[in-house]
Amino acid sequence: MRALRAFCLAAATFLAACAAPFDPEDLTVDVPARSQVAGVPLIQQADFYCGPASIAMVMQWAGAEVTQADVAALSFNPGAEGTYLADMLGASRRLGQLAVTIDGFDQLLAEVDAGHPVIVFQNLGVGVFPVWHYGVVTGYDLGVEEVYLNSGQLDQMVMDLPAFARTWARGENWGLVVLPPDRLPASVAEAEVLRAGAALERVGQYAAAEALYQTGAARWPENWLWPFGLGNARYARGDLRGAQSALQQARRLGPDVPEVRANLATVTREITG
Amino acid sequence: MGLMNISKKGMAVVLSAQLVLATQAVTMAEAEMLGTEAAINKYAALSNRTVLMDELQRSDIQAEMIAMGVDPAEAAARLNALSDAEVASILTQMEADSAGADILGTLFTIFVILLVTDLLCFTRFFNFTRCVR
Repeated sequence: MRALRAFCLAAATFLAACAAPFDPEDLTVDVPARSQVAGVPLIQQADFYCGPASIAMVMQWAGAEVTQADVAALSFNPGAEGTYLADMLGASRRLGQLAVTIDGFDQLLAEVDAGHPVIVFQNLGVGVFPVWHYGVVTGYDLGVEEVYLNSGQLDQMVMDLPAFARTWARGENWGLVVLPPDRLPASVAEAEVLRAGAALERVGQYAAAEALYQTGAARWPENWLWPFGLGNARYARGDLRGAQSALQQARRLGPDVPEVRANLATVTREITG
Repeated sequence: MGLMNISKKGMAVVLSAQLVLATQAVTMAEAEMLGTEAAINKYAALSNRTVLMDELQRSDIQAEMIAMGVDPAEAAARLNALSDAEVASILTQMEADSAGADILGTLFTIFVILLVTDLLCFTRFFNFTRCVR
């Protein structure tokens, strides 16, 4: 799956389509019959830029000034004339965003209902000719069985639900939630959000990591891993006092954790020594 | 006998001194921050499972299981057989279904019982616990 590319209307790999038809009865989340995310801009994608354009739309919706060219510089693969799934995640993180994947209708609808646009990976091809594409789901209506997408054109795309389900299933229901780090996804487990924070640290986006760890600590106040990550991110930015207070909070929540004690000792030694 | 004891004690003192030195040497060598990602990988999955296991040990849930003809030990064994990813997805679904509210008390009890009955093929509530009869 990771090796798949999105070619945005250029034929690529063959993927067998064996999608089960979508049935709203299978949903296990309690979502309203229709929901719409307001304010997601429509961006006309440049050639093969459906991936970068999708991220740019979602980030502009959140208030960032980012163009599809900015995103493409961090993610587009000219040789493949497309954008790899992993680079969609990586580019979002290098731009300081919380990026987590989802993999089904339960999560898709829960996110849209929570007011979050979701980037989806589809195969729009007919028959054996695959046409890989990224679009942004901005709404759905289960009553009239429609899904609404910003899909690289200046008009909103309306797909009927069974057709959308088929095209998305051929992309293995890969979806991407990209949010500023002061917001949390609605359908993703705490551990995955924590990992997204650690990934921000890995790409050197310490301010974003710090913001995400603080957001997580407010949502899950009993888990020491949030203030632990906060302490590490602050330390990486050279904020020793801030790191110390975060790690002291981590120690209050997890008094017996050796990692917390070790890092608190390191920080305290650097402050006093 | 007394001598033996003393020499054993002496050995213990030497050994523990060595242990302290060795620990210090390791600490000195690793005078850098331990990473967030490694800690998440080590603890996050563990705590998910612990949450559910703790619930299974609660007396009201055990009583409910017995009333339904479910052996609590078998329920624990089945929960233990789930992968970390599956355990995480259960908790995600619980959170989603409780509409953002913290899962506490009765609601959580119901979820845990549903999980147990799912695992035992009585119900079909969670996504991956599909039962082939």
